Amino acid sequence: MGRVLVIGYGNPLRGDDSLGWEIAGRLATSIQDKPVEVLALNQLTPELSEPISEVELVIFIDASHAGKPGSWTCETVEPNATSSHTLGHHLTPTSLLAYAKIIFKANPRALLLSVAGESFDYRQELTPSVATALPAVEQFVRETVTRAGRPCHKNLQKPN
Amino acid sequence: MNTKEILIDPVTRIEGHSKITIQLDDQGEVQDARFHVTQFRGFEKFCEGRPFTEMPSLTARTCGICPVSHLMASAKACDALLAVEIPPTAVKLRRLMNLAQLVQSHALSFFHLSSPDLLFGMDADPQKRNILGVVEAHPTLAKDGIALRKFGQEIIAMLGGKRIHPAWAVPGGVSEPLSEEKRDKMLAMVPEALILIERTLVWFKDVLERFRDEIRTFGNFPSMFMALVTPTQEDKHNALLEHYDGKLRFVDASGNIVLDQIDPTGYQEYIAEAVEPFSYLKSPVFKSLGYPDGIYRVGPLARLNIIDRCGTPRADQEWTEFRALRRGVILSSFHQHYARLVEILYGIERIAQLLQEPDIVYKHVRAFAKPNKFEGIGVAEAPRGTLIHHYKIDENGLIKWVNLIIATGHNSLAMNRSVRQVAQHYVRGSHLAEGMLNRVEAVIRCYDPCLSCSTHALGQMPLHIQLLGPTGELLDEIKRN
Repeated sequence: MGRVLVIGYGNPLRGDDSLGWEIAGRLATSIQDKPVEVLALNQLTPELSEPISEVELVIFIDASHAGKPGSWTCETVEPNATSSHTLGHHLTPTSLLAYAKIIFKANPRALLLSVAGESFDYRQELTPSVATALPAVEQFVRETVTRAGRPCHKNLQKPN
Repeated sequence: MNTKEILIDPVTRIEGHSKITIQLDDQGEVQDARFHVTQFRGFEKFCEGRPFTEMPSLTARTCGICPVSHLMASAKACDALLAVEIPPTAVKLRRLMNLAQLVQSHALSFFHLSSPDLLFGMDADPQKRNILGVVEAHPTLAKDGIALRKFGQEIIAMLGGKRIHPAWAVPGGVSEPLSEEKRDKMLAMVPEALILIERTLVWFKDVLERFRDEIRTFGNFPSMFMALVTPTQEDKHNALLEHYDGKLRFVDASGNIVLDQIDPTGYQEYIAEAVEPFSYLKSPVFKSLGYPDGIYRVGPLARLNIIDRCGTPRADQEWTEFRALRRGVILSSFHQHYARLVEILYGIERIAQLLQEPDIVYKHVRAFAKPNKFEGIGVAEAPRGTLIHHYKIDENGLIKWVNLIIATGHNSLAMNRSVRQVAQHYVRGSHLAEGMLNRVEAVIRCYDPCLSCSTHALGQMPLHIQLLGPTGELLDEIKRN
């Protein structure tokens, strides 16, 4: 199995935005294989391009406003140097991949798992619809990490 | 008189949600301009009822960019609740982490947010004038930025066990001492970091000449400046650069010391908080002058304006050159960029100094106590300026009341005034030119506001500009995705 990096991100104090942290936390305890590194982060920042450049597969897990709460999609993402004109202190997965490609000459396969949230209010708990969906998302990531090499179908909708 | 309004909503390449409105009069001249923060901040209320011991790690989670700053101010407020003096080694270790935070945060601001403007110019095509344009046109600059971020992040990770939200600074000290092995690893990273920042300073001073107009018009106005300073042992009025402890100093626009040796826990005696109807961002003012005359600035420019020297050899040289830009204090907020680079240099030098002190690896790093006071205040210098955490607890140690004065908030009035100055200089008529719009945004970026400390950004932040007529009708509109 090639080296894999899993990045769950979002604000852990903003309700369903914390789902990336939650999944990353579960995976960190359930995936013990050394070639897999799991990170829980508030946001994507430029220096992540270096660890991304060192793996064969990177999986981003983020909350989304789009879709029925608890539904989730998995799509392949490619480096895009024009995707971050509006960046704040954070980067997008595509711009981060562009960093890795241009600076570190690396182009790992990348997946973006987006889980639709219901509430992004100030709270530390997930809404029931998102909490119910997480075991399936976690299982999907674990299987993908294990297979590490099989392609992910673009925009594959996983209803719950 | 009829007025027209240009709306830039939201501002790009700053953290959080905000918008800018520019009001034009009948002649198409700028009548007023305002910087709005449009999302409500609820973190203070959110903390009520929580055990005070949770506050350092809880408040650190308000932001992914400056968690360490909140960690420091919060831990200091909790120390005050315990009424303990924390071990000297713990103070040094906290300083170490705070300086690492300063380096990584300034690197993000300079290299990743502002270098596109500095490299390509304010009028360059926005398709090119972004960080990925920098990566392609000047990869060394982009790579140096990443390496300096990594330098700071690695030190934070080694001290706290992780990069983003280390729950390592705790009430009474820190949870883990520093091992000799980690100290040696940190010291080994210093020489390269110094090379990178020295190279960047050379590059920046070379391009600075191209921005005469921006230096003249980007927040170039008289105001007070405030920051923490460390009095030297020989002369308490000979103050050094400070980011963790020390005393508050205020200087006026001529460089005269207005207040000195102020215990920061008495901040309420000198700082009042005004609320403006168009923004959720609180606007602190110097109390005796009131709103709006009590405007003051904090952050790297303020810190370099109020000290008598930095306190490390190379930073002192650069500081002397920096202060020679103008007689008296440096008033233009464009020089926040320059000040950030000098502070990065200072941060790296000071980190090396701290690591070479023998007691940095001592094992006694925490004092234990139960709460001995019902009120505690912690003040530290965040990269963007002075950060104040003020807590009140009940007899069970549960938080009853919280007041956070975020560094970005201190600069609220200054950012508004800077936007107005830039708009009055560059905005003409009802046509929205790209270079003009970028300058209005760029002056905000000089302050590197971290609005996620006060708001939260979800998803993309496209640029949306609306031109509104006297009665609010839409005259023109630009969207940039």
